[in-house]
Amino acid sequence: MDELMLNSEVEMEKTQFIVIRIGDEQYGIDIKYVDNIVRMQKITRVPDVQSYFEGVINLRGEVVPVMNLRKKAGLPDEEYTKDTRIIIIKLENNAPIGIVVDAVKEVVTLTSDEIEYTKGTVRNEQVTFINGIGKCNNSLISLLDLNAVISE
Amino acid sequence: MDVNQYLEIFLDETSEHIQSLSDQLMILEQEPDNTDTINEIFRSAHSLKGMAGTMGYKRMQNLTHDMENVFTEVRNGNMKVNSNLIDVLFKALDALEEYEKVIRETSDEGTNDNEPIIKELNRILDEGLGKAPAADEAEKTEDEGKSASDGADSKDKPWQDIKLSEENISAIKDADEKGLNIYGVGVHIQESCVLKAARAFLVFKAIEDIGEIIVTNPSAQDIEDEKFDFDFSMYVATAEPYDKVEAAVLSVSEIEKCIGEKVDIQSFTTKEEPKETVTETAPAVKEEPKPKAPSAQAAQNKQTKPSAGKPVVNRTVRVDIEKLDVLMNLVSELIIAKNSIVSASSGEGMANSSSFNDHIGYLESVTTNLHESVMKVRMVPIESVVNRFPKMVRDLSKKLNKKMNLFMSGEDTELDRTVVDELSDPLMHLIRNSADHGLESAEVRAERGKPEEGSIFLDAYQDGNNVIIEVRDDGNGIDVEAVRAKAIERGAVTPEQAEQLTEKEVIDMLFQPSFSTAKVVTDVSGRGVGLDVVKSKIESLGGDVSVKTKLGEGSAFSVRLPLTLAIIQALMVVVGEEKYAIALGSIDTIESISKSDVKYVEAKEVITLRENVIPIIRLHGVLNIDEGSEDKDEMIVVVVKKGDKLAGLVVDELIGQQEIVIKSLGKYINCASRIISGATILGDGEVALILDANVLI
Repeated sequence: MDELMLNSEVEMEKTQFIVIRIGDEQYGIDIKYVDNIVRMQKITRVPDVQSYFEGVINLRGEVVPVMNLRKKAGLPDEEYTKDTRIIIIKLENNAPIGIVVDAVKEVVTLTSDEIEYTKGTVRNEQVTFINGIGKCNNSLISLLDLNAVISE
Repeated sequence: MDVNQYLEIFLDETSEHIQSLSDQLMILEQEPDNTDTINEIFRSAHSLKGMAGTMGYKRMQNLTHDMENVFTEVRNGNMKVNSNLIDVLFKALDALEEYEKVIRETSDEGTNDNEPIIKELNRILDEGLGKAPAADEAEKTEDEGKSASDGADSKDKPWQDIKLSEENISAIKDADEKGLNIYGVGVHIQESCVLKAARAFLVFKAIEDIGEIIVTNPSAQDIEDEKFDFDFSMYVATAEPYDKVEAAVLSVSEIEKCIGEKVDIQSFTTKEEPKETVTETAPAVKEEPKPKAPSAQAAQNKQTKPSAGKPVVNRTVRVDIEKLDVLMNLVSELIIAKNSIVSASSGEGMANSSSFNDHIGYLESVTTNLHESVMKVRMVPIESVVNRFPKMVRDLSKKLNKKMNLFMSGEDTELDRTVVDELSDPLMHLIRNSADHGLESAEVRAERGKPEEGSIFLDAYQDGNNVIIEVRDDGNGIDVEAVRAKAIERGAVTPEQAEQLTEKEVIDMLFQPSFSTAKVVTDVSGRGVGLDVVKSKIESLGGDVSVKTKLGEGSAFSVRLPLTLAIIQALMVVVGEEKYAIALGSIDTIESISKSDVKYVEAKEVITLRENVIPIIRLHGVLNIDEGSEDKDEMIVVVVKKGDKLAGLVVDELIGQQEIVIKSLGKYINCASRIISGATILGDGEVALILDANVLI
């Protein structure tokens, strides 16, 4: 059994995802884009900006904008709880940006055969931020397309 | 060692010399007999020639050589400066600029020989000399020869201090046997020179082109390590006469003087060599260089004179701007750290310890001073941008066939380097605009009773935390009705809408893309790019542009730029439950206004303050904050100014003055109304937004 596992791991391309919860759904974020995960803190509101931006926070001396994925995806707003976190995303050479999530659950490692990419099969507006589905421990994880999340 | 490593120095110096040539030519055009100017031009052309030669740029060297030739004759009084000559020289200058540009981009000078300009220069030279009386020339040369030799006598002979080794002596003997001349040469580098070793290297290189250096004092290694003051000396063996050696040395810039003469071989060979051989050959050779020496000597004499009068150039070090940015960021961090100590001390009962407060006070003064000096390092005078304009206006004057003059003031006004670098294009546009659209033709000016020559003014000055650069002309001014008609014609507005527009709104339309009112599209402007580019550029630098105009009397474009970009003094205020910063520079006064003093004009709230009617802006509305307990009896109004316009901002509470570090909001967040210009981090770690009062007014 162990040998089998090892073999398949060598052959498969592995990607680590951070699993987060928004509402009842689980989403995965590719760990290589995650700069930091911070607890909820005071967010300074910025007037007159896109509605899905909560405002800006101070991340070790840097001013980082924070967006609310619920608002961006058109989900109902919810109160922050003690589980609410801000995930700081850094895409290549871009400035960091924060995303508010309801909770951070775990880190999973998915091999390429556990991921099903959803290229071109998007039907519904709410799933345009997803570029794949991961299967892990009998549950499904929607994999976030961070470029789509961050761009307007 | 590779010459390429001096490419940057070469380019910097070339642009300096080109600028100086341009300035001096402008003066010469006004005062064709000004000998100081002529000398200055000669010197610049000469240095350029030498530098180009050293770097191996032959085409550039040829062109400057011919310019220098012309000025040799002008200087000797053999020909007169006329407008034709000035025109050709300006053309030559343009060609030099072109070389510089090509070299900067490709490190090669390109293939343009600029044959026509060289021919033109030579033609003028021939013409000029044809008329010149020959006797005069001879006399002149004699005079200069005299003064030159006088000068040489008074100088000492530093090369005599060189201690010669056996090998040196045998090398000198070998050279002598080959029939080469041995010269002792002493070089003095200007005391303002920063890269002495590089200069010395260039001197050696120049000499090695024509001969051989036998020994130097200090040693070559010490010179390379910059272990010398400003003098070094050497023995040189060459087949060339002495004046060639001196010319080679002086071709390197920042060399203050070069002295030297043929050395009597006898002085170090007495032990072995019979006396006759030396004494026989020496006088014969010695005679030769003398008559030729004057031109180089004279040039050098004159070179030393004006430099004595000038203030000593400040010592400078080139620093990569990125390193300064790092320093700047560190200072920012320090200020944030200081602010957090201040807020911690007031919060936790530590305030009663007076020594703690003393330390904070000390830290505060240190950070403020540090900040100021770092900012100052980044400041450069706008001179580097505006000093090209006189020549540009001259060119425009020819091209547009209008007589005009440019008057500048405040060229020493300083701005952040990054701003100055970007300023050139917008200002150039404004001046072109004044020259082309603003100033009328000579006939119209005469009709209106204005002097035939149009005037363009460029005034720069500091105003609080801003720098104002104003480009004014005494021309036609903006014809508001013509703009209105144009706007209708372009379909930008309907005729009905156009009627409604105020004069200011009409003028603002000039800043929209593709809007040009010139009836004839000229080479200079009127292609519809211009004012909109100016506006967007200035705004990207955090400034703004405004216009004042009076039809028939002229117009004034005023560019306002922030003095600093990174750290400012700000007033912290509270609106609702949020904290905002307002730059202290834009605040005029803070007033307490009773509710009953608010009046309404055109359904807008205004207050009267010292006989000024000032509109008031309720920040709650602008910032989408609930006003909460409706209307208190007393309102706190922060009066902000932009130029001579005022507005009152209603806030809930004042926190106080604070030094804040400006942080960008980044590109993700898009503040539609642009009232937020950035953010800052307060002492307690909270983020506060910075209000841009200029947008609100």
